Amino acid sequence: MRLLDTFRFFSASVLRRTRAEDDLDSELRSHIQIRADDLERSGVTRREAERRARVEFGGYQRVKEECREAMGTHLLESIVQDVAFGWRVLRKSRGFTAVAILTFALGIGANTAVFSVVYAALLRPLPYANPGGLVALTELRPTEHGSANDDFTFWDASYPDYLDWTRQSKVFQSLAGFGFDGTLLRGSSEPRMVLGGQVTTNFFSVLGVKPVLGRDFAPGEDVPSGPNVVVLSHGFWMREFGGDRQAVGRSIRLGDNSVRVVGVLPSNFEFAPLGRPEIWVPMHISGDQLTRRSLRWMSVLGRLAPGATMQRARAEMNGITANLASQYPAANGAIRVAMQPLRQRIVGKVERLLLILFAAVGFVLLIACANIANLHMVRAAGRRREFAIRSALGGGRGRLVSQLLAESMMLATAGAVLGYLLARWGTNLLIAAIPEPLLNSMPFLADARPNAAVLAFLCGVTILAGAVFGLAPAFGMSRRPAAVTLKEESRASASASRQRLRHTLVVLEIAVSLVLLTGAGLMVQSLSAILHRDPGFDTRDLVTFGVFLPPTTYPKDPDALRFDRQFTERVRGLPGVSAIASNSVVPLSGGGNSIRFLIEGRPKASGQEDECFIRDVSAGYFTLMKIPLLAGRLFDDSSDSPTASPHILVNQAWADRYLHGDNPVGRRVRFTYSPKEPYREIVGVVANNADSGLDAPYEPALFLPFTQDANSFISYIVRAHGNPPAAIDTLRAALRQADPQLVMLNPTTMEQLIDQSPSVFLRRYPSYLIGGFATLAILLAMIGLYGLISYSVSQRGRELGVRIALGAQRGDILRLVLREAGRLIAVGMAVGVAAGLTLTQLLRGLLFGVGAADPATFAAVAVVVALVAAAACLIPARRAMRTDPVVALRYE
Amino acid sequence: MDPQAQLLPGTLDLLILKAVSLGPLHGYGVLLRIGQISGQALLIEQGALYPALFRLVRQGLLKASWGVSDNNRRAKFYELTPAGRQRLREETEGWNRLVSAMTSALSARPEKA
Repeated sequence: MRLLDTFRFFSASVLRRTRAEDDLDSELRSHIQIRADDLERSGVTRREAERRARVEFGGYQRVKEECREAMGTHLLESIVQDVAFGWRVLRKSRGFTAVAILTFALGIGANTAVFSVVYAALLRPLPYANPGGLVALTELRPTEHGSANDDFTFWDASYPDYLDWTRQSKVFQSLAGFGFDGTLLRGSSEPRMVLGGQVTTNFFSVLGVKPVLGRDFAPGEDVPSGPNVVVLSHGFWMREFGGDRQAVGRSIRLGDNSVRVVGVLPSNFEFAPLGRPEIWVPMHISGDQLTRRSLRWMSVLGRLAPGATMQRARAEMNGITANLASQYPAANGAIRVAMQPLRQRIVGKVERLLLILFAAVGFVLLIACANIANLHMVRAAGRRREFAIRSALGGGRGRLVSQLLAESMMLATAGAVLGYLLARWGTNLLIAAIPEPLLNSMPFLADARPNAAVLAFLCGVTILAGAVFGLAPAFGMSRRPAAVTLKEESRASASASRQRLRHTLVVLEIAVSLVLLTGAGLMVQSLSAILHRDPGFDTRDLVTFGVFLPPTTYPKDPDALRFDRQFTERVRGLPGVSAIASNSVVPLSGGGNSIRFLIEGRPKASGQEDECFIRDVSAGYFTLMKIPLLAGRLFDDSSDSPTASPHILVNQAWADRYLHGDNPVGRRVRFTYSPKEPYREIVGVVANNADSGLDAPYEPALFLPFTQDANSFISYIVRAHGNPPAAIDTLRAALRQADPQLVMLNPTTMEQLIDQSPSVFLRRYPSYLIGGFATLAILLAMIGLYGLISYSVSQRGRELGVRIALGAQRGDILRLVLREAGRLIAVGMAVGVAAGLTLTQLLRGLLFGVGAADPATFAAVAVVVALVAAAACLIPARRAMRTDPVVALRYE
Repeated sequence: MDPQAQLLPGTLDLLILKAVSLGPLHGYGVLLRIGQISGQALLIEQGALYPALFRLVRQGLLKASWGVSDNNRRAKFYELTPAGRQRLREETEGWNRLVSAMTSALSARPEKA
């Protein structure tokens, strides 16, 4: 129906147009006839009279065109005409059309894909009520005070401090706490670990989120003995209950408890700081967590009171922190408080990366645009005669401009459609290239698909690009009087200003390609440096997984030790396994605890103690990891048995930082969180290893023997030769034999862990993307340069012919052409290097093992650009060399 | 010296309105009428006439209809609309004011200044 209407509309306006056109024609014809009648009466022949009448009348077509204009512009009709004509023109020059559409599609497609991701991460509002008023807060330990850019690894506060903030703060309308834990979901199927958010009962109301089904948590449900209730994520509700509205009121089994479902969250709810929790439970805070002010474990979120600013909030929180420090010097003496808008806390790590990628892809669009403008201008120069004739026949300047615009808009539209398809594919690719653990921490990216905003952006870019390229050549030509163009047609001289513009565009393309290639080169080197960094242990053939020992079956430390002994013995007997050991945290997996301590004989003021990483490791750990022992001895099960005096190991970084070269072996260390903590003797020093990430410096760490500090969560590390998936299956079977209740958590290989770690991702992702964009850029720049030199050679055919006729050697001609190209390349490279030196500074936070102004990279990229650019000129230069003087001179 | 006066910009429309106000005319007739009422002092370029006619039609000052000319040729005739008549009056007054102002300005003598 719609199509039919459109058709009627068009045919009606075309018919009307035809009638008006006929009318005009007969009126002017009748004028000439009447005039001829008059002339005939004065005595000339009819033929002579008509001839004179026509001559007197002047340019018939021009008058007609002026009349058409005077009748009013029939916008639609002239568009239809322009499009029809443009279609014919574009079909005739298929090569140009294909290159232009493809260039548009690549530029627009790549930009839209990246913009889709940027939009999802940085621009889309968070799905909470008034999300701008939400603030994340953290207490900073002395070791974190120097953190740059407020980019903190840990966001936590102690529960007593949180309560004091809630009571004393006026700037915050409300504060809420949150954390997470994995719990075993037992049901009809295999037990599995689900990620659960643990929150204070006001958490959802602070966010301004209401369950779509059932209710929110009620005050009092977060007390230690509180009722076991759960709010389900929409996804979990769909998966486990099939979206049944009767789910509310039913129970699920979490760990050893039966938990009642009280609500279901909206489908668009997400909370990136916790990743993607499937269920939400109230915090059941008890024991030390409730009372120990130095136990910082809970993340805190605040909603600013109406009219309050971050600045006021900071000022007020500084005051509260100072009060707490003087009130509780031991726990809070060295603590500071930092805060960020919630959005920044969520996207802070990827924001810079995304903006850099966006800038890089923007450069690609810039080159694409320059290229198309160049193509248009070269073509326009070839069409000068056509335009001159049309303008002599009465084509107004406005009509010529609108004709050019129509052609480039058609190109841009075709490019946009193709680009949109490319963008859809590209967006999926961009998301798929993010490792799953990282993607889970950025739930908002699940939404990244070309949506309405992205489409609007795409159309905006397209229209702008179309307008710019349609007009660039139009302005180049339409000022020229037709007679001048027609007269000098055989001289084939391009106007100097247009030539300068074309040269500028090519210089720009070369410069931008050089900048992108440099960025890509620096990122690739960083990636390679990080992958080749020695982490301090042998990463090959390592399989890791976690085991959680539920307190009902393993209530006390000896129970955990018994399980560990039996299980590790079983695993050592497996084929292909050479060793098994455990650590409380797998190195490079991120996270882990730290502890405050005093060295015997080196007193510190209460609250000002040093703090370092602490890890519980089994006896065979360092041997398995191939981390060398530097002094003293390693742990062994008999000397470090649960009943032996407490022992610890330290790493080299610890010895360097806290003992400044003194021999650590034999010294004693005490943890300060409790006065009952004993002194522990350092029995050995081990070499450093990378722990929180491959890009992190070696950090001081203390190691406790697992036998003396057993834990209900154990991370096992196995060195198993052969195929890792098979090894994981064998290990899972062994775990089931040891205790069928237990679940293997997050099994992975060390290679995979490294591969998917943020530190590698932050280099690999931009390496691939900027590398891809740079390749695209240099390709486009090559096309641009090739087009320019080809054109210039074809324009100079006569000059070259004369030179050859006068005895110029082929080499002279080659040099002549290459000299022109060489100047452009040299200027482009100089501009590129200058711009690169500034722009690569933006990458500084992402670079690893290479400087932003690395001379080797700049030199290598310059050589590559020069060679590629020279190659692009070679084909037209060779053509120039083979110019036949006779043909060149005759042809002109 | 050229006996024909140079047409001031913007006066073509006024002349056409005046010519047509004396009775419906086809395009060529408008040219003849302007020549006649100006004592052949004002001659309009043939090509310039038609765009002006179309413009005036579009502005609603003239209306056009097909008819038959004196020498039996089919021709389009133009006549004034009420809006055209109104416009002619205004423009004529404006022109007269301009002319008398210009005349007095140009005939000023040094001792009176």
